[in-house]
Amino acid sequence: MAEEAPRNNPLWRRPASRRTMLKAAGGAAAGFYAFGLPGKAYRRALAQDDVRQQILAIPGGGSQPTEADMQRVGELTLSSDKQGAFKGQKLTFLGLNNAGLHNLVFRPLSAAWSDYTGCEIEWIDLPQDQVFSRVQQSIASGTLDFDLLEGGAPWEGDILGKGLASEMPEAVKAKLDLSDYVGLLQPPVGTWDGKTYRVSIDGDCHNFNYRSDVFADPGLAGEWTAAGGEGEWGVPTTWQGVKAVSAFMKGKQFDGQDLYGILDVCKPWGGFGFYFFLSRASAYAKHPDDKAWLFDAETMKPRINNPAYLRALTDIIETLPNEPADQVNADGNRTWSEQFLAGTGTMCHWWGDLGSNVYTNDLSVVQDKVGFSILPGSPDVYNAKTGAFDMIPGNNFAPNQAYIGWGLYVMQRSVEAGVNEAAWDLAAHLGGKDLSLWTAVYPSGFQPYRNSHFNAEEWATVYPSVEYAQDYLDSEADSYNHPNGAVEPRIPGIFQYYVAAEIELAKAFAGEAEPQAALDAAAAEWENITEQLGREQQVALYQAALG
Amino acid sequence: MQQALGRGADVAVGGVAPERRARGRALLIAASVIALVVVVLQIAAMIGWDDAPGIASWRTVALAVLGWFIAVDIAVVLMHGVRGESALFLLPALQLTAAFVLFPTVFGLYVAFTNWNLSAEQGRTFNGLDNVRALFRDADFWRSMLNMVYYVIAVLAQYVVAFGLALLLNQDIRGRKFFRVVFLLPFMLSPVAVSFMIGRSILDSQFGPVAQVLGSLGLDNIALWEDPWPARINIMLMDAWYSIPFMMVLLLAALQGIPHEVLESATIDGASGRQTFFHMIFPLMLPVSLTAVVLRIIFELKLIDVVRVVTNGGPGGATDTVTLFIFREGIEKANVGYATALSQFYLICVIVLVTAILAIAGRWVQKFS
Amino acid sequence: MAITSDRTAHLPEITIPSVGLSGRRLRRTIGRTFTYGALIAWAFVCLFPIFWVVSTSFKVAQDIFQGRILPWLQFQPDWKGWESLGLSPSTIGEPSGNRDFFLKHAMNSVTISLAAAAIATVVGALAAYGLTRFSYRFGPWRNKDISFWFLSQLILPPIALAMPLRVLYRPDGLDLLDTRTGLILIYVIMNLPIVIWIMRDQFGSIPLELEQAALVDGATIWQTFFRIVVPLAGPGFVAAFILALVFCWHEYFFAVVLSGANSPTLPIQLAGQVSSQGIRWWSIAALSTAAIAPLAIIGILLERYIVKGLTAGAVK
Repeated sequence: MAEEAPRNNPLWRRPASRRTMLKAAGGAAAGFYAFGLPGKAYRRALAQDDVRQQILAIPGGGSQPTEADMQRVGELTLSSDKQGAFKGQKLTFLGLNNAGLHNLVFRPLSAAWSDYTGCEIEWIDLPQDQVFSRVQQSIASGTLDFDLLEGGAPWEGDILGKGLASEMPEAVKAKLDLSDYVGLLQPPVGTWDGKTYRVSIDGDCHNFNYRSDVFADPGLAGEWTAAGGEGEWGVPTTWQGVKAVSAFMKGKQFDGQDLYGILDVCKPWGGFGFYFFLSRASAYAKHPDDKAWLFDAETMKPRINNPAYLRALTDIIETLPNEPADQVNADGNRTWSEQFLAGTGTMCHWWGDLGSNVYTNDLSVVQDKVGFSILPGSPDVYNAKTGAFDMIPGNNFAPNQAYIGWGLYVMQRSVEAGVNEAAWDLAAHLGGKDLSLWTAVYPSGFQPYRNSHFNAEEWATVYPSVEYAQDYLDSEADSYNHPNGAVEPRIPGIFQYYVAAEIELAKAFAGEAEPQAALDAAAAEWENITEQLGREQQVALYQAALG
Repeated sequence: MQQALGRGADVAVGGVAPERRARGRALLIAASVIALVVVVLQIAAMIGWDDAPGIASWRTVALAVLGWFIAVDIAVVLMHGVRGESALFLLPALQLTAAFVLFPTVFGLYVAFTNWNLSAEQGRTFNGLDNVRALFRDADFWRSMLNMVYYVIAVLAQYVVAFGLALLLNQDIRGRKFFRVVFLLPFMLSPVAVSFMIGRSILDSQFGPVAQVLGSLGLDNIALWEDPWPARINIMLMDAWYSIPFMMVLLLAALQGIPHEVLESATIDGASGRQTFFHMIFPLMLPVSLTAVVLRIIFELKLIDVVRVVTNGGPGGATDTVTLFIFREGIEKANVGYATALSQFYLICVIVLVTAILAIAGRWVQKFS
Repeated sequence: MAITSDRTAHLPEITIPSVGLSGRRLRRTIGRTFTYGALIAWAFVCLFPIFWVVSTSFKVAQDIFQGRILPWLQFQPDWKGWESLGLSPSTIGEPSGNRDFFLKHAMNSVTISLAAAAIATVVGALAAYGLTRFSYRFGPWRNKDISFWFLSQLILPPIALAMPLRVLYRPDGLDLLDTRTGLILIYVIMNLPIVIWIMRDQFGSIPLELEQAALVDGATIWQTFFRIVVPLAGPGFVAAFILALVFCWHEYFFAVVLSGANSPTLPIQLAGQVSSQGIRWWSIAALSTAAIAPLAIIGILLERYIVKGLTAGAVK
């Protein structure tokens, strides 16, 4: 079972990444200090390291940050030079009100900025599942009532495409150092027609979280071999392996608790549930030689009913009996927090939040027991052109760069309202290098998204060990920078496709529809949506999004 | 009452002083003119006539209309005397509802015949009866309609329980106030809270107390939400929990209104409990039962919160409600035209249903009284 | 209404000589046991979820995922849930952003619900009185049709009104987006039908003689209404008001669609407890407890009005 761990496999690893170069240069110290180009950047990094160390210590490992903590972090990272410049102005900020995250983090982090510049901020908090529809309704009814929007990259098709955002000023670009963004977040993401609009504050991808203690257990190893399991006992690196292991675990116990393998998300979740299916399918469906995987690039014909996705769907259906009871009613929030972190299940594909919560979330009982990797792969991958599966030596991996990430968008209306400069200044503050390190390390709803975030030593000030931090960060970085990353198209209405698919898939999960029939129904729905949204435009935008 | 009015109003009707009438009429005309002018100005401003004075906005229009309403109210009284006064009772409610409902109804009817996806580049386009045709072909929609039939039948079961509780509470028992307050409490918990705390917490198949109790009875790993009927029944149970108090209160109040003499005389005559109930109590309770059941059914037909939070229509659409389906179409899929068509269709269906219920039940009530 | 007595055969006598219970007494005892048993059983059904909500507000994550039920016996109460609202002993004296956030939602809920319920009760009661006492005619429409028209306002799913309302409330429209007034207006419309239908039964049961007498004495209709009918139907007003209040308090959909920074209500804050960091059960529980508390208190204090107020109802 234990093949060479993917990240050590030379065949896919990007040659001469910065990290390898630096490691080769020798010395953890060199690696720690030399981000980007030496020279000027080096000195700046040194000075900033002070700030970074300071803010990482607030409040330190093991404790939940308070509002006061976050205010202090906001103070320390304040780099605005617009003292008092926006006095009397008022900005309206629309963001999520997820408890303890997003707006609830933005507020204390912006307090210092607000004091310094004199600008007042009014906050519109919305539940996560309402934000996008609210934005759409605002647009359609002409009632855009906010200057700054916390929006997801998949929404860019709807927001940027309609000219509702204001373009990023050059000064802000320089301040943000856009080259620091990970590969996934480089243009075309965040841009439209060549213009830059987005301040990234988050990166998103699905990684693979597993119980390292279970997969290192000698007792289970013995049973595995005795049961005729393939290879040595260890965390699977292919989805086929995941299926076999999950079947193997059924009925067994570990540490007095029932043992379960993979935790699948089957419940419609406003479109977000579909990402979990895509993670199961990307290794089968995303061919290294083909940029497209969800639709045909020339025609927008859906590919979702091809044999690759059928295989993924069948995988899930066949594994569901080996998963906990009522798994079919489990939404994304359940699998990572109420199941995996609470000790149920040994494999979970999720966004990076899981990893960053292992030590900081009260409900976690799996401290010191979690390992990370990129999503499992598959020995073969479907070739849409030939209609057959191609064998890929060393397995095909296609990390699902799901949702791409949250960003801040300044709306055009801020220009009319005379607060455009203030809005960009606030966005630059919240998207700053150091502040974002803090939000990446501590629970905020945001994952690391800048290359400068991926220093395990810094994370180790909060996390129990450098090795743990490295493990986690590698799984994220390797997913972001993967040459065969599966990224979704930033076309208008992309979530409508997901919602439609979720519903059809749910019927298959519930056993009410045959897998192929469900996928065909989803494909038919997708065609309807494409027609309704305007096929030509969708094709053009899809191709533009593919780069 | 009309007769009473007639008698008392004889003095007034013929004798609404002409000056009063004239004043009323003048007020009405003045208010109408002002309102009309404001509306015209607003439309002019919208169309873009440059020399339209910039005083009008829709808010001004609203205020002008409000003024007009008030003027109508006053004028009616001035012009029609007593009849006007009686009309004045109904007018505010009528005006308020009409004003508010007019625009959404018209707008809704228009949108229902358009192809309007909020992400579409072409925006809103008229598409005739396409939405209606799609509606009739939409198997998932009809499935959710069928679910509503089940949910409505559940309301009848809720009615029986509520009636039973009302009967119990109507008896001479100790701690009556305590029980009455306690039985009312579920109604005070918001459906959103109920869906989380009961649906996802108490009925959680891993951590919930229900699962634990079942586990201690030997039924491990019981799945509460995996199969269609258990899921539906669980939803119905939750819905019943916070809805029964509403009916119970209405029924209990009506029960308490039955004079004791009525019941006592029946018992003296030797009628059995059951006969007293069916021949005496139940007929008296029919009008309130009708109100309670009709109101409950209308609310039930709008069920969404509990289902959305707990199962999101699952498994595979088994617990889906029409409102949730429309929500998914209109909000999650931004398919506003189709969703509005579905809403209008559903509205018609429910109106037909409620009319039928009222007609049949009305005849029934008459038969009993 | 004439009561027909139905002479039926007497029920057979059951005697248990050893206990000395006669048939009727035995029947009564069994009846009472059953009655109390049923009452207690249903009381448990009502109270257990409430207990669960309140006790969960004192739990921490571990307690929830171990499924612990009994405080002190199975878990130690913790103030975490209340801290997230700024209402725990440790935070109550300090300035707290959480508490401000909570109070903003709570005060909005209070203001909007009270105002909407009050207006709906007044306007609705007037309309109900009119509909029971007078015969209206608007074209082909009679009282029955008008009543039904009001009822049909309840039927339309709120979804269908989302877009039209956003358009209506635009800044260059009525400019009521994200205002309490805007929400109050829509809630009044929503609750009018309920008030009207309930009060119709109320007024229908008040005998006409009193009003007729007053009219003959020369009082106007409105004077009659205020001096005679209102006092009699007082509890009915209270009951309708409370029902409308509860419906407004719980309303979620329009609040979300029409609110922004200024007018969000408690249900919105509740829904926000579901985050990408998992569901914060203790916060939801604390919020639910805080949300149910005012209603529960009103229920306890005014419970007798609710029943009494609806009592005049069905006897015709």
